[in-house]
Amino acid sequence: MNIEIVHAVIDDLGALLLFTMILIVGASQISRAIYAVAFQSLFIAIAGAVLAMATGNVDLWVIAGITLTVKAIALPWLLLWAIRRMDVKREVEPVIPDLATLTLAVMFVVMSFHLSASLGSVRQAISGNALPVGIALTLNGVLVMATRKTALSQMVGLFASENGIFFTAMAVTKGMPLIIEIGVILDVILAALVMTIMVLRVRSTVDADIADLDRLRG
Amino acid sequence: MSVCFFLGALSSLLAWWSVRLSLITGHLAALAGAMAGLSVSLGILLGNSANKLSLPLPSFFPFARQSLVVDGLSAYFLLVISIVAIAATVYGPAYLQAHSPEAGPARRATQVLALNVFLACMVLLCCAGDALTFILCWEGMTLSSYALVVSDDQDGENARAGLLYMIMTHAGTAMLLVSFLALTERAGAFDFASIRMAANGLDGTTRSVLFFLALVGFATKAGVVPLHVWLPRAHPAAPSHVSALMSGVMLKVAIYGILRFGFDLLAPVAEPLPPAWGWTVLILGTSSAVLGVLYALQQHDLKRLLAFHSVENIGIILIGVGLAMILWRREDAGGSLATLALTAALLHTVNHAAFKGLLFLGAGSVLCRTHVRNMEELGGLARHMPWTAGLFLLGAVAISALPPLNGFVSEWLTFQAILGGASRFHGPSGLAIVFSAAMLALTGGLAAACFVKAFGVTFLGRPRTSHAEHAIEAPLSMLLGMGWLAALCVFLGVAPGFAMTLLDAPTIGLLHSLGASAIVTAHGPLVLSTALATPGGISGTTISMTMLAILIAALLPLAWMLRRGLRTAPQRVAPTWTCGMVPTARFDYTATAFAKPLRRIFAAIYRPRREVIRETAGTPYVIRRMQYTGDVVDLAETQIYHRIHYGITAISQAIRDHSTGRIHVYIGFVLGALFLSLLLFGGGQR
Repeated sequence: MNIEIVHAVIDDLGALLLFTMILIVGASQISRAIYAVAFQSLFIAIAGAVLAMATGNVDLWVIAGITLTVKAIALPWLLLWAIRRMDVKREVEPVIPDLATLTLAVMFVVMSFHLSASLGSVRQAISGNALPVGIALTLNGVLVMATRKTALSQMVGLFASENGIFFTAMAVTKGMPLIIEIGVILDVILAALVMTIMVLRVRSTVDADIADLDRLRG
Repeated sequence: MSVCFFLGALSSLLAWWSVRLSLITGHLAALAGAMAGLSVSLGILLGNSANKLSLPLPSFFPFARQSLVVDGLSAYFLLVISIVAIAATVYGPAYLQAHSPEAGPARRATQVLALNVFLACMVLLCCAGDALTFILCWEGMTLSSYALVVSDDQDGENARAGLLYMIMTHAGTAMLLVSFLALTERAGAFDFASIRMAANGLDGTTRSVLFFLALVGFATKAGVVPLHVWLPRAHPAAPSHVSALMSGVMLKVAIYGILRFGFDLLAPVAEPLPPAWGWTVLILGTSSAVLGVLYALQQHDLKRLLAFHSVENIGIILIGVGLAMILWRREDAGGSLATLALTAALLHTVNHAAFKGLLFLGAGSVLCRTHVRNMEELGGLARHMPWTAGLFLLGAVAISALPPLNGFVSEWLTFQAILGGASRFHGPSGLAIVFSAAMLALTGGLAAACFVKAFGVTFLGRPRTSHAEHAIEAPLSMLLGMGWLAALCVFLGVAPGFAMTLLDAPTIGLLHSLGASAIVTAHGPLVLSTALATPGGISGTTISMTMLAILIAALLPLAWMLRRGLRTAPQRVAPTWTCGMVPTARFDYTATAFAKPLRRIFAAIYRPRREVIRETAGTPYVIRRMQYTGDVVDLAETQIYHRIHYGITAISQAIRDHSTGRIHVYIGFVLGALFLSLLLFGGGQR
């Protein structure tokens, strides 16, 4: 595949990723955030596939496949199931006003582009502007975790942040070794399972959310 | 040698089969190890002074080659360890049986195992030829002595003492580790030879920082004021023969460390040591000596009192070490005064090991027969335990630095060194040295007072409780252990000239100048003189301990005859007249009362607290019951440790009050920190 086409595709995908990220940050309903993160994962899987085609790296195909099945399908489904189970339709319960969160998110994006300009030596010719996008995704994912009260929306933040790390890795090193990627994916699955179980359990036994755990403070 | 200790450790396993057998074989193996250590060290010390024994160890770690190197200094400390270890292992089995006959196999096995590990670690530590072996043995020593401290636990107190000990020494070890790692990092290897090479290239500040880090580490272990707070708690808690080892030997290992670091590893080539080193050590030593003995005076727990005396004696040793550091390569007289100071310190090391070991073993005999440590509940033991009393008295005379015993010799040498040093310096520094001499004199006097109290209240008078009344003499093996140390005390006191030959190798090895015997026993082995050490200035002083001993021995019958001969009236034995009342043990002078005048004089340091509760029958003139409680505080404890404690508590409370417990706030903190660091450091390499 032509290197310029790859460039263009990766850059476009980066733009889409940033767009989904802004959707996640700004989502007022938790289910929308979950759909957004699912699409984000889908785009990352596509990016992986494109890179795999361009470099001929078989591992990247595997990674793209795993990302698609696990992150774009299985985990969002799990989250949606948990929401249905808990019967929450309520809002995402931000800690600070939405506008402030969005401003912060924009600041992070700007800063990542600013930073990556100084990291020229690590940037790969093949992946174009992927690096700042990855950093921005990571930071914004943490931002979502920090500004949401409910555990489920924090989980969405975790996935977004995870996606960012994935994308950065792809951009910088043409993908990490397969075994590490699989390990990371397993970690995410485990974290999602544990957190879901915990949220459900806490709700079913004491009728409280994770955010209320601060009452346990001595 | 280490084979013996290993066998001893193995024999602890026998405890599952027979407790008694394991006890005896374990201690016998340790005894054999100590004997082997004694012969090795004597072989090196009496042989050629350049003699070195070096022994590569099988390498356990891929990154370091380990070895044992026994030079003069190592051999000397090996000698000290072996001397006390022989006494302690002879003494140990009978003591453990008599003190806690009910102990099960698990406890016995722990004690035997820990004792052997403890001894092996100390021995290997002194012989270590590389930093890794040193640190490993240092940790092994700490851990095994911790096990011994807590092995004898009835209430929670020993466990608390052990915990404090653990925390303090580990904090010290951390400092030591930093110093060692900085050196090994620079040297690229662990053995002392390459560390020495690497240390040559250090600049002054780094060198001093590394030395002070190591000094803090060693001083914690040595129990130097103000790092001594663990010592009076942990030493009494251990079984008595282990207390003797900890007090007599383990503290000396820390002195070994200071000497090794100061004079050997970190010393600049052919230049005097930085003056701050010696002065710091001198000041620490002086304060430890005075405060140690002052607090010892107010203790009524026999073993605790002895533990505080260890602080004092470490102080005296450090005065000598500090003086040697100040004077080394700094004078025109060819370094002979530094040699004198170091000789005094090293001689006091072995002397303290001998008499403090003896005293702790004596206290252990009292403890195992009466199960009481508080002096106020003892008394009159001299009648029931005459041998123990006699040996304890000997140790008490030695520690009080009275001629003709060994404590006098080393303190005399220390004084000579101090006075010689004072004549070299003018102005404030000379004054400081003179002040330290005055403090040393005060220390000697107070120590004598303290042991008059300790011996008098424990062994003389009438038994105050039934514990003391029904005490019986200690078994023969325990007396043997004490007798060995007592014999050493007498020998080192009467003929110290012979010990000077042993001191040649370490002094020459460390200071690269004249040996100890060349300076101190220049006029023959029976005469001590400092004439060579102080040319010009003041004229040297000469003393012959042997003649002094003969003189005292000759005067004894004279005094006896005078006492007998002058008494003309016929003798009549009658009870003491007590105004018509029947005399009871409560009429005796108590330890508290004895120490009262000094408590008043030094009230500024003691901050005594007393409380008298009177229970009267209607009128204040008829008192039914009266209760007196009083104690003194440890200045270092209240002024330093309590403040630190309050500070930490206050900070933790503040953190706790300000922490919200909300997860997203914490994540926010992480995010903020990440953001800031990216902003600060990310754009750096544009």
